[in-house]
Amino acid sequence: MNKIEAKNVDVYYGAKQALFDINMDIEANKVTALIGPSGCGKSTFLRCLNRMNDVIDICKVSGVVKINDYDINQKDTDVVRLREKVGMIFQKPNPFPKTIYENISYGPEIHGIAQSKSEMDNIVEESLRKAALWEEVKDRIHEPGTGLSGGQQQRLCIARTISIKPEVILMDEPCSALDPIATAQIEELIDELRKEHTIIIVTHSMSQAARVSQNTGFFHLGKLIEVGSTDKIFKNPTQQQTQDYITGRFG
Amino acid sequence: MNKEERLIKRYKAEKRFQFYGKAAIFMALLFLVVFLTKIFSTGYTAFQKTWLVIPVNYNADLLYLDPDKKPTTEDINDADFYEFGIETFISLDPDASEDQIMELKKMFAFTFERELKYYLLDNPDSFGKTVDVKLTASDDLDQVFKGNYPRDIPENRRRASDYQLKIFDKLNEDGRVISEFNASFFTNADSREAELAGIASSFMGSLFSILVCLSIAFPVALLAAVYLEEFAPKNRFTDFIEVNINNLAAVPSIVFGLLGLGVLLAVFGLPRSTPLVGGITLSLMTLPTIIIAARASLKAVPPSIREAALAMGASRMQTTMHHTVPLALPGTLSGTIIGLAQALGETAPLILIGMVAFVNTIPGTPMDPAASLPVQIYIWAESAERGFVEKVSACIMVLLFFLIFMNLGAQLIRHKFEKKWN
Repeated sequence: MNKIEAKNVDVYYGAKQALFDINMDIEANKVTALIGPSGCGKSTFLRCLNRMNDVIDICKVSGVVKINDYDINQKDTDVVRLREKVGMIFQKPNPFPKTIYENISYGPEIHGIAQSKSEMDNIVEESLRKAALWEEVKDRIHEPGTGLSGGQQQRLCIARTISIKPEVILMDEPCSALDPIATAQIEELIDELRKEHTIIIVTHSMSQAARVSQNTGFFHLGKLIEVGSTDKIFKNPTQQQTQDYITGRFG
Repeated sequence: MNKEERLIKRYKAEKRFQFYGKAAIFMALLFLVVFLTKIFSTGYTAFQKTWLVIPVNYNADLLYLDPDKKPTTEDINDADFYEFGIETFISLDPDASEDQIMELKKMFAFTFERELKYYLLDNPDSFGKTVDVKLTASDDLDQVFKGNYPRDIPENRRRASDYQLKIFDKLNEDGRVISEFNASFFTNADSREAELAGIASSFMGSLFSILVCLSIAFPVALLAAVYLEEFAPKNRFTDFIEVNINNLAAVPSIVFGLLGLGVLLAVFGLPRSTPLVGGITLSLMTLPTIIIAARASLKAVPPSIREAALAMGASRMQTTMHHTVPLALPGTLSGTIIGLAQALGETAPLILIGMVAFVNTIPGTPMDPAASLPVQIYIWAESAERGFVEKVSACIMVLLFFLIFMNLGAQLIRHKFEKKWN
């Protein structure tokens, strides 16, 4: 079943068109990787899926993006509820400058998920466990989240995102600021998370795409060149441009 | 010129440049030291007060009271202490002529009646006895005693006469001239007599003005900055507003004074000379300073924090109130304190709205007439009596103390609470 269907999505930054007529289906409970050279529009597309482009004044999005068969680009779409369903992890770990506990309790708090302190404690612990961070921080969850290492911070951000149980998690180059060990931990985590969430990950590293994803979309100059199972894209692409990119001839 | 020579030249140029820099800093420090030394050396004597301790005979006859009955508070309050005071002064020199008696009287502050009365009220047992009472010396003798007043100029150009100096020296020899900490400088309101003038009314005036200024300028500026920075669309209109806020910050303060005069007093009819009007006027002046500081601190909050909150499904207002504003608050607060420090030192607009009036009462609310510390400096600096010279410097010292204190507070907030973003 398709979790997300994008139809004829165009994005403009002012007069400059960043995405051209993107049509893409994303399967539920799988990891879909978006690859392509810098500036190809893969992050822009990702941000269409939770309307984070709204933040940018000059950005105009057109087309249809359906999540669970509901078009999120309608005027009266409640972005608060959309983002409750579609969480996002950013390139640079961006924990709030608050304690680890407060970082995670923030989402459940504003969405009124936890009814009591003990329930909140459970959500915090469960989220940290799922993000494979609990064992490392359980003795200092009331210390600032910004004091953690880069990899830990990113896992904290993941824990924060899953605390409100989103159906979809968008990841915008989540490992680009991390060392190889932290990267490996995150990748392991992604595989674990896909049981409960649909994951879309933008990555620069083709090997990462090959490792973590089941499906892959290749973007180039604002166009979706090819999309299919990761196996097929990497072993037997139909397009010459895809072939050139994954063999490292450009990008 | 070969390579070696050019290198030597470059080194020399660098050394010269560093020397100029050091010289500039030295100059700045020198000015500061000269300025502070001058103010302290002139002003420190204002914190001392000269008293004349004279024997006073609380004789019933002199006070027209019943010698056999212990006087009640009412009796004492009704008694005439002026005549009694004159009689007391005559006792310093029983041979004094009519003119000399007047001179004797002028050796004391005009409050001698009150001081004599209060002594008796506080010490009812002194009734009928002769006791030593401490009376405030006139500002002329105060200045003579502090060495601020030359004794060698001709008598007709001197405010303290030869006769007064003779009596004064005799009292001094007997140890009857004492110098003590001048508490009344802090507790008295302004006065035409230098020996009695204090900063209490102007201090309270400044305090009320600053409080009014803070309570208006801070919320308005914060809301304006948050709206402009976080919510307003970026278009020509908001650009226009931004330019105008910056222009407003550059408007000379006297213009705001005229605005206060023309609008607050003339149109709205608010009470003249009050810290309320002063505070509102100052808040107009402080507003752009705080807006600019708040916007700069909001800008300094990294967009990634906003994105993090928005991606968690926080609304824009929640993002702003839960994350952006708290993170921008230290910078905003230190900007506010700097703005208030400017307002505290502001004179011109307050003069225009009438806070330059002579106020000899201590204001209890922002609606009472008051002066302010910088205006008090201005008023005293205009006064002819020599006793005000040290008062001016002392008032500057008090003002500087608060300004330095506030600026340190701003620095502290900035260093302690402001988040460092890498």
